[in-house]
This record gives sequence, structure tokens and C-alpha cells, in this order.
Amino acid sequence: MASAESRQFGNLATQLVQESRRSTLTDTLLKYNDSLVRTVIREQRNLENLINSAIAAQADNAAFTGDAPALLLYQTVVLRNKRCLLAYHAHRLDRLKDMYWALGGALPALLADNDLRSRLSPHEVDFLREYNASVMDFRGDFSAELDIAASITHPPRDLHALVRVVRDCGVIETELGTIDFKKGQRFMVRRADIEHLIVQGYLQEV
Amino acid sequence: MAGAPSPFAVALGPIELDFGALPESLFQQLMRHWLNERHAPDILPVQAEVLGALLDHIRRQTDSVQALRGDPDSSEAEHARIMLVQTEVERVKFVVRSYIRTRLYKAQKFSRYIAATPKVQEKLSQTELDHAKRFSQLTENHFRVSVLQALPPHQQGLDDNTPFTPPMISEPDKSRAVFVHARGECPPVRLPDGTTMQMKKGQIVLTPYAVVEQLLEMGNVELI
Repeated sequence: MASAESRQFGNLATQLVQESRRSTLTDTLLKYNDSLVRTVIREQRNLENLINSAIAAQADNAAFTGDAPALLLYQTVVLRNKRCLLAYHAHRLDRLKDMYWALGGALPALLADNDLRSRLSPHEVDFLREYNASVMDFRGDFSAELDIAASITHPPRDLHALVRVVRDCGVIETELGTIDFKKGQRFMVRRADIEHLIVQGYLQEV
Repeated sequence: MAGAPSPFAVALGPIELDFGALPESLFQQLMRHWLNERHAPDILPVQAEVLGALLDHIRRQTDSVQALRGDPDSSEAEHARIMLVQTEVERVKFVVRSYIRTRLYKAQKFSRYIAATPKVQEKLSQTELDHAKRFSQLTENHFRVSVLQALPPHQQGLDDNTPFTPPMISEPDKSRAVFVHARGECPPVRLPDGTTMQMKKGQIVLTPYAVVEQLLEMGNVELI
């Protein structure tokens, strides 16, 4: 506990929350701060020991002794640290969900991004996989009529869109039959057929 | 508004938004529920009938468009009409999608509250409820494996109830202010300060959501 003496309880947890804030303000997902999370968890265990010894000291005599206020302080820090830890993780899940929906629910495309992948904890990848499974089930309920994962930012204006192929995306089934999208080509296609490809960055609207 | 002005309801009307006595079409109904859903802090009862009927309609329209497009005898004028129908279908789909997604967002946001409160579950469709329950499991599980299991046993709870700290299960904030438009004459409602308010048709009021919750459910008012 030598290093803990030089700082106040709760400072580290505040750093976690500040990371979340920074992530929101810059609209980025920072790398999962595994070491900081572990350090805060260690602080929690130390606090637990402090609480236990304070309680043990208290039990010896019935009247309130000097340790009672300390107990209150420890307990407050324990609860606060815990909320900060959970808030940090919840905030990251929210951001991951936003990214997932921004890609139209294309999980493979999201996970193929190695840069992003390196910023996630293994548990977060598991979460995304299971979340995707749940959303897929939900989506399946409407699959006969529409794709609920398609964009909801702009209402459609035209039926068709002129698109430029930015990245090869292979053969795609459209209303006009199958089209093999090769880089550099341009097509006039029905928007609903290829919207997900625009979202995932294969096509660009001209 | 009856009596002295209350700080809990700001009258902004009346503004006449009367579209005549025409009955609302299915799509207009969904538009209204969509806007209500987008503006309400709480998740509203699911409009299963309107939604189901519209989805059926979308499917039928899409099928007949396919049939007509494939028919070589379709005239130029018919093709123009097909284009219009297709565009309209896409626009209806947009609203349907946005409605479903707004509800999905709320079902996730309040998933732990929903999973713990049977009364709220009635407002969700079966699919939404399944997803909400699964989602609350997923998040709790994520918290457990990432944080809680490394903590001492009695720090592992997810429902601490500490004074001066927000509850761990987030609930809809029903005190949030909403803009309300009266669709017809409304029965009086009680404001938080004890006074009553009676909205006339066409009146627009800014008031906490909890005040008009009942009126909204009965369809007397809409959120704008």
C-alpha cells in the first residue's frame, strides 16, 4: 500500500470515468484500460481488508471508537469505486452498440477492423457476438417485410442511387439481377438493395 | 388552463392543427405513435395492431409491384405509378423501422428495469420482451466477468441501494418536460403542485411527462 498513501482514495476510479468522458467528447473508443481497471479492483480489495480490521477493532469494546468514522469513509469509497468501474464498462458497451448499429448490424465488418479489435477487451468481443445473436433473432421477426437494421438517419428521397464502387464487394443480388461490383465502376441501382454496402464503405454515392 | 398559472405547465397555444374530421389512416396512426414514442421518456404500449396491419400492407404492395413489373403489358403510365408506389413503400418502411428501433433502444436502455417489473413487460411485444430480457442478462454477465467477480463477495451486488447515489437500475425519468398537443377536449389532469389543468382541443402545453401519461395512453393528446 506504499503507493496508495500518496494519493487519495477514489482518484484512480475518477481517472476511469475521465477516460469515458474523453471518449465521448472525442467520439472515439479508447483502448480498454486493463491495468487501470485491475488497479482499482486491487484498491477495492485493500479497502475490504481495512474495513474488516476496523470492524474487528470495533467489536472489542461496545462504545464508538476512533475507527467508526473511518469505516464510513471506507464504505463510501468502496461504493463509489464500484460505480465508477461499472460506469466505465457500461459506457464502453454503449459506444460499441452505437458502432454496431452505425454499420447496419454488420458484426463481421466491425470485428474485421483490426485497429478496433485491438482496443477491445476479450469480454467485449464476446458481448458483441452475443448481442449480435440477440439482434439477429429480433431482426428475423421482420425479415419478410423490411430490414430493421437499415439506416434511420435520413428518410429515403429517391428509389435509385448512382454509386461508385470503392472496394470490391463481389456479386450482389439486386432487383435487376445479380451485379458484380468491381472497384472503380459506377452503377445506377435501387437504393434499398445496396444501402448496407454504402454504410459499410464498399460503395459511395456519387 | 384552469385557475392561476402553474409552474408545471406552460401553455403555448392554442394552435389549430385541424385536419378535418377525416378518420386517421393506418399510416397516420403509426406516424402519431412514432412521434409519441420518440418524444416520450418512457417506453409506450406497443401498437401491435397498427404495426401488424402496416407490415401486411407493405408485403402486399411489394408483391403486387413485383407482379406488375414483371408483366410485359404494363403501360408507361403504370410504370410511373409503380415508381410512386415503390417510393411510398420505402418511405413507410422508414417510419416503421424508426418506430421499431426507437422502441428497441428504450427496451435496451431500461432492460434491467423491464426484466424486474412485470407491469412494464405488458407494454412490450413478445419479441421486444425476449430481447430486453436477453440484453439485461448480457450486460449483467459482462459486468460480472469484467469487474464483479474480481471484487470481494459482498461488493458483487448489482442492486445496491445507497442514499445520494442514483439507483443501479435505470428507470424512465417521467418528470421530463414534453410538448403536448391536445387532439380533442381532455378530461382535467392534476399537476404536481396540486392544481388542475384542462386542455382544450388544439392547445399545446409544455409539462412533465407524468402529468399527461394517462391522456397519452387514451389517445387524447399527442407529443410533438
